[in-house]
Amino acid sequence: MPSHSVFPRGTPSVRADGVLRRKLGGRLQPLVPVVVLLALCIMITAANPRFLTWLNLVRIAASAAVPLVLSLGLTVVVLLGSIDLSIEGTMAIGSIVLSLLVANDVTSFRLGWLALPITLAATALVGAGNGLVHVWFRIPSFMVTLGTWFIGLGIAAVVLGGGTVRILDPQIRGLALARFLGLPWLIWVAVGALILAWVIQNYTRLGRHMYAVGGDENLAALSGIRIRRVKVAAFALAGAFYGLASVLEVAQLGQANAVSGEGRLFATVTAVVVGGTSLTGGVGGPLNSLVGVLIVVVLANGMILIGVSPYLQATIQGMMIIVAMAIGMDRRRTGIVK
Amino acid sequence: MEIGHRYAASAIRRRDVLTGGAAIGLGSLMAMGRSAPARSAAAPTLVNSIRSLSNPYHATWNQGGQAFAKSVGADYVVLVTEGSSQKGIADIRAILAKTGGNMVLNLDANDSADTRPIVEACQEAKAHVLTQWSKSADLHPWDHDPYYVAHISYDNLKYGEGTGNALIAAMGGKGGIVALGGQIANSTSIERKQGLDKALAAHPDVHLLDFQAADWQSIKAHDTVSAWLTRFGSDITGIWCANDDMAIGTLEALRAEGLVGKIPVCGIDGIKTAVDAIRAGELVTTVSWDPFWQGAMGLSIPYHARMGTFDPTKEPRDHREFYSTGIVVDKTNADAFYKNNIETEPKVDFNDLWGRASGQIRQG
Repeated sequence: MPSHSVFPRGTPSVRADGVLRRKLGGRLQPLVPVVVLLALCIMITAANPRFLTWLNLVRIAASAAVPLVLSLGLTVVVLLGSIDLSIEGTMAIGSIVLSLLVANDVTSFRLGWLALPITLAATALVGAGNGLVHVWFRIPSFMVTLGTWFIGLGIAAVVLGGGTVRILDPQIRGLALARFLGLPWLIWVAVGALILAWVIQNYTRLGRHMYAVGGDENLAALSGIRIRRVKVAAFALAGAFYGLASVLEVAQLGQANAVSGEGRLFATVTAVVVGGTSLTGGVGGPLNSLVGVLIVVVLANGMILIGVSPYLQATIQGMMIIVAMAIGMDRRRTGIVK
Repeated sequence: MEIGHRYAASAIRRRDVLTGGAAIGLGSLMAMGRSAPARSAAAPTLVNSIRSLSNPYHATWNQGGQAFAKSVGADYVVLVTEGSSQKGIADIRAILAKTGGNMVLNLDANDSADTRPIVEACQEAKAHVLTQWSKSADLHPWDHDPYYVAHISYDNLKYGEGTGNALIAAMGGKGGIVALGGQIANSTSIERKQGLDKALAAHPDVHLLDFQAADWQSIKAHDTVSAWLTRFGSDITGIWCANDDMAIGTLEALRAEGLVGKIPVCGIDGIKTAVDAIRAGELVTTVSWDPFWQGAMGLSIPYHARMGTFDPTKEPRDHREFYSTGIVVDKTNADAFYKNNIETEPKVDFNDLWGRASGQIRQG
């Protein structure tokens, strides 16, 4: 519902909003995160030209691989207007399943690449569980996935007895350590995941239905979309992406434990929202998340390159989130902002 | 073969932890209700209160507690705060009521402010208590005689300086160091960093290029080290980490660039992967706090006070509030440490109450 219908026409705030909308609205609005990203890159390069060296760009890409794959998963759920807080718990499940099935220092399994589909299936199952509980018992996704977060951590803690598994499989480690055309494999995997997410979102029935459900669930239901099925599929898809992210993280760190995903939830939600995907659903997509992730990762890299005091870094990150939201949020569909 | 054997060993440990996990899940009191009737009416229940069982450090702490409880044939309960002071305090009050005060508590408090209400509750119930790592600065065992038996901590400054010196030695006494700390306001991290500063002050040919807070996390350390390589390149000749998880993240960031083993790195905490890395020649040193000892002796000392082996009120202050001794692990002893502390259950003389006491804790 357009915002001006809520207020009487002509009040100053609405007029100001209208001007802002005319200036940034339409096709330009989605580009705001890109402009923020470019501005960040220019400012950092001005302070330290080493930012733009090939080596540093590869390092940024490698640091962005796991957050990107996580964001692709979360984006699918956020597009529905739901939220998924189970990222860290699902990653814990993914990393222990993978690490215990490939060559490691705890079990004697040596499944190699076969462990990969098993890991993705396990985390997709966790995601599907989220979706099923959410739609069947009509519990808000916020609460369901909050529960799954701790269930995942708990299962991982019990299975590993609080311990850490070291990965000895050279092929899995090769995702982070071996390179193809000068880039570590995990960057290629993340790019592949991005293309896959983009194709699903834009060129499959499931993807289009997600936008429809997120845009207006009642309308989608009236047009015959099976809302429940779409939601469960979306959560399962998100779970599979988290599983892939945990594979990449295990490859990067060479070890897995129950707290492997620690700190990932907040960074992922930040990246998705800063990239311009609306928490109310229906607006955004994988490319937005790519930009959002790059903003977060470039800022972290840049603050170290410039030598920003660690005391100030959290503050600057917080300010960046607010600024990016203030100029980038699409308010056209938001009647009242709470 | 060796792997199969270790898997069997870890399966047993896992089952122990499962019991602990069930206790958390169902509520520790229910778990106690399930356990067999007290073997002896006089034997106090032994209680470890720790943060969680999902990290290797506290999991080993719990094993130490189990081993000591088994050695004296007493009931054993592990309580976990899961990061909530409220839960920690409530669980302890509940078990004090349940046991009627006939218990011994080994407390790794969620927050230093929690120690006072917990110690006071124990004193009121006439239960013996020992605290580790953190406590309120103005709370002292001798002010709560005889039930507050002792407080144990580790000299973070001393070991931060020790790993700093070992790192500088591995660098040949000159070059540039980058340093990773935990959360910016964390007192453990601050003290360890002060130790590094002391080591740096004694070596004018070594300078600190940058210090960053990686929040104790390996992934954050990984990304920070990558960015440092861009900023400082080959000026980095040593990397100091305030804990082992960050040291592991550092090693992996170096490995991705083909630099592992070329730039000396050090950690602190003594986790298994760090000891593995020392054995592989990738990590210079770490310090183990020996959580097995902490879980066992943190019960043994107040247990012996309760059983009358010694009178805490007559002990000197460096037995009431003392720094325990960490085990410095480097390439000279990594293999032996691995064999005795990681591959097999550590052997601790539960009756050697003061063997590791190394001086009274500095005040202030």
